[in-house]
Amino acid sequence: MTAFARKNADKPPMLIYDKVRKNYGDFTALDGVSMHVNSGEVVCLIGPSGSGKSTLLRCTNALETIDDGEIRFEGKPLPKSDTETRKVRQRMGMVFQSFELFPHKTALENVAIGLTTVRKMDADEAHKRAMALLAKVGLADKTANYPANLSGGQQQRVAIARALAMEPHVMLFDEPTSALDPETVGEVLNVMRNLADEGMTMIVVTHEMSFARRVANWVVVFERGQLLEQGPPQQIFEAPTTERTREFLSHLGWNG
Amino acid sequence: MDFDFSPLLDSWRFLASGLGLTILLSIAAVITSFVLGLAVALGRLYGPAWLRAMLVFYIDSMRAIPVFVVLVWIYFAVPIISGYTFAPFWAALTGITIHVAAYVAEIIRAGLTSIRKGQIQAGLAIGMSTPQILRHILLPQAIVRMLPAFGSVISVTIKDTAIAAVIAVPELMRQAETVAGQTYRPIEIFTTVMVIYFLIIFPITRLVDRFYIRVAYLGRS
Repeated sequence: MTAFARKNADKPPMLIYDKVRKNYGDFTALDGVSMHVNSGEVVCLIGPSGSGKSTLLRCTNALETIDDGEIRFEGKPLPKSDTETRKVRQRMGMVFQSFELFPHKTALENVAIGLTTVRKMDADEAHKRAMALLAKVGLADKTANYPANLSGGQQQRVAIARALAMEPHVMLFDEPTSALDPETVGEVLNVMRNLADEGMTMIVVTHEMSFARRVANWVVVFERGQLLEQGPPQQIFEAPTTERTREFLSHLGWNG
Repeated sequence: MDFDFSPLLDSWRFLASGLGLTILLSIAAVITSFVLGLAVALGRLYGPAWLRAMLVFYIDSMRAIPVFVVLVWIYFAVPIISGYTFAPFWAALTGITIHVAAYVAEIIRAGLTSIRKGQIQAGLAIGMSTPQILRHILLPQAIVRMLPAFGSVISVTIKDTAIAAVIAVPELMRQAETVAGQTYRPIEIFTTVMVIYFLIIFPITRLVDRFYIRVAYLGRS
């Protein structure tokens, strides 16, 4: 490990993964992963496809259940009951690779739906907040559009606003730009960078190495369900300690 | 061959009352079939194992038995078994409903399960409960996707109401049979009835299809 001081290292971590295991039948998706995320950090998870990055993210908000080990969020292990799990999920925003906007709702309604159904907020107040969030992601003029009438990048920005509406303590991004046309990747990454600048805690599964290099405070490299190496981006991208990390980065055409 | 449409003019009130009952029975049967079909679909998808098994049996039976037989059985056999006699209209409504609801249930189930898992996960991720996801995310999209199939169900239901004639419900077909029997003018009477059914059902199925084309994007996740 390195002497590099992590952000908010003096405070208890927001998320702690302790020997987390996850199997799908005979396939081991996570093979004893231990790591932590401090509050305010942007942690990028990188590695080849099928290495377990997305699985770890989906275990974090209990979309998948782990088979062994423990995940602690804000000091407490993830709850077992459905009611408590729903409360925890409200404190974690998630952004999916395929956006998953609700096609029968306008952009505004997509952002407001969590507030009106889960929080039972009245529609006027919820729409006011949704409006502000859409403005924040640069879509103040698209509030009445249905997802079918938005570009991929616009849809993903609505999805980010939808997650932010619940005022999460951490944002989980699952390959947020992988399904986008190259020309709209930038607008989504900009929104994410602004969020990071505001101090949002973020875990980002990504293949955008330049984003990881520039925005992440900490980079974790996965391979075959295991944590291959972790460190500050300078170390991972400029002086990786393992040959496998070097190979992975050179496969992506990363040349420092 | 000469045609004589005067019996139609003489008995138009009689036939119109039949048409009125056909429309009433159709609307009632469509509504009750959809309500029962939705309940059956939800029970089959989310209910306990014993309920699911019962509902599968119900659906399979209804798909294997002609609606005609169901209707006659309710009208003639149920009173003997239960001691409770249905008025013809209610027997017809019950028979058509339990028959059509089985098809509606299968359409709704297929519609709900056709929606990708990511939509459910997006709901879960913002803290929604399963009933909230069903109501706010799955059902609205599923209903849009099911519109073309619903159009067919509506037309089949309206056509099925003609079978109520056999248990003496004085709907359009029954009244027409009466007039045709009295006047010996089956060609004129039954041709007119045929045209009336067509004029009711054809615009409905066309309208549903056109409506679907306009709103299909709302169900496309």
